[in-house]
Amino acid sequence: MTSATAGTGLTGADFEKFRDYFYKRTGIQFSESKRYFVDKRIDNCIRASGYDSFAGWFGALRLGDKPALLQELINQLTVNETYFLREDYQFDALLNAVLPEVLKNRSRIPGPIKILSLPCSTGEEPYSIALRLLEEWPHIDTVDVEIHGADIDSEVLARARHASYGERSLQRVPKPWVAKYFNLVGAGRYQLDESIRGAVTLHQINVCDTATMRNFRDFDVVFCRNVLIYFDELSSRRAAENLYGSMRPGAYLFLGHSESMSRISPIFTPTRLPEGIVYQRPTGAK
Amino acid sequence: MGLVRRNAEPEPQTMGPGDLLAQLDDPDPDRRREAALGLEAESAVEVLLDRVATEDEPRVRDAMLTTLAAHDTDAVAAGLAVHLASDDAGLRTGVAEALASMPESVPAIIPRLLEDPDHDVRVMAAMVLADLQHPEATTWLTVMIKDDPHPNVVASAIDALLPSLGPEHTELLERAVRRFPDDPFLRFTVEAALR
Repeated sequence: MTSATAGTGLTGADFEKFRDYFYKRTGIQFSESKRYFVDKRIDNCIRASGYDSFAGWFGALRLGDKPALLQELINQLTVNETYFLREDYQFDALLNAVLPEVLKNRSRIPGPIKILSLPCSTGEEPYSIALRLLEEWPHIDTVDVEIHGADIDSEVLARARHASYGERSLQRVPKPWVAKYFNLVGAGRYQLDESIRGAVTLHQINVCDTATMRNFRDFDVVFCRNVLIYFDELSSRRAAENLYGSMRPGAYLFLGHSESMSRISPIFTPTRLPEGIVYQRPTGAK
Repeated sequence: MGLVRRNAEPEPQTMGPGDLLAQLDDPDPDRRREAALGLEAESAVEVLLDRVATEDEPRVRDAMLTTLAAHDTDAVAAGLAVHLASDDAGLRTGVAEALASMPESVPAIIPRLLEDPDHDVRVMAAMVLADLQHPEATTWLTVMIKDDPHPNVVASAIDALLPSLGPEHTELLERAVRRFPDDPFLRFTVEAALR
C-alpha cells in the first residue's frame, strides 16, 4: 500500500515505518483505522519543527539528537481528555474498602500511605483523589498521605502543575468544594488552590520503561485507568509488570471500567469489592 | 498529618547487565523478578532461556517470558516452544501466551508444531494461534480442525477459532463431529460453537 493522505503526504509505507518506530519508543500502537488521527498530528509536528517533509522530520526524529521532536510527538499522540471525579465509584471504593485495609496493615510499615495516579494527564485524577480524601476520609488528619501523578506527556504535566480548569472539567465537583479549593482566575476558569497543587508530586514517566519505573516503589494504591487499552499485548504485559514492581505486597491497583488484568497478566489477584473489581499484588510468594 | 508532598524525585537506580545477571540468583523472588524484567539486552536472552524452565516462582517466570517475548526472534521462539511439551501447566501456558505475542518469529515454527507427534503440544499450538496476530492464523486452525487425528486438538482449534467463526465454517465443524462420532466433548464444543 503506498497511498498518501492529504496534508502530510504520508504514504502507507511511511505510516508503517512511523508506527513501528513509535511503538518501539512508547509501547503505543496505532491501527490503520487511526490513520486520520495520526496523520493530522504528525502534520502538526512537522510544521511545528520547521521541516518541510515527513522524510526530513522522521530522519531527525530517529537520529535522536533532538529529543524535543519525540516529546512533541508524544504530546500530540496521547489522548488526554478527562475531568474531575471521573468514574468516582472507584474513589468510593478507595475510601470505603481499600484505605481501611491499607490502614489495618500499616502498623508494620513506617511512612506515609502512597497513592499513584498514572497516567495523570492534566491532573484531574490525582487532584480528585486529594479532594475526596480531604473532604470525606476521616483519617486524613491522623495519617500522612503522599499522592503522586505521572504521565508520559510533558505538556499535560505542565498544565497539571498549573491546575487551571474550565467549568466542563469541574462539572461533577460539588459547588462548596469549588468554592473552598478553587480560585476564579478568568472567565469560567478556576485554579486549584496551592495547598492542594503543592501537595501532589508530578513526574514524567513511561509506564512501559522498566528502567525508569524501577525508581517508583512501595505504593499502596495505584490508579492506572484507561491506558492499557491503548497498548498491544506485549506492552500491556510489560506495563503490568512495571506497575507490580511499583507496588507494595498487598497494594491495590485500579484499572478503567472496561479493562481487565486477567486478559493481560496473571501476576495480580483480582478482589471483588461492592464498587467493582480491584487488583492486588499478592502478599506471599507463589 | 494530612496530604504530604515528596519533594525529591526518587533516587535513580542504575543497574548494569552484570548486576542484573547476579540478581537472578537472589533468594528473594521479587529481586529475581526485577532482574528478569530489567535484562532487556540481547546478550541476556540465552541466560533467560536457560532459566525459564527451572525458575519455580511463577511471577519471576512471567517476568522472564515478558522480557523474552519482546525479542521476537527465531532463537527465542525455538527456545520457548520446547516448553510447550512441559509437564508444568503454568510453564506451558505462560510459554503459549508469550509465543502468541511474537508475530514476527512464531509463524515460522507453526508448521512444525502442527506436525508434533505429541498431541498435547498441538493443543498448545492451538492456544498460541488463538491470540497470534497473523493473517494465516485462521487458516492453520482450519487445517487442524479438518485434518488433526486427535479429538482434543480439534476441540482446542475450534475453541481458538470461536471469535472468527462464521457460517462458512459450519460444514467444517460438522465434518469434525463426523470424524469423531464417539467423542461427546467434541460434539458439545461444536454444538456450542454453532449456537
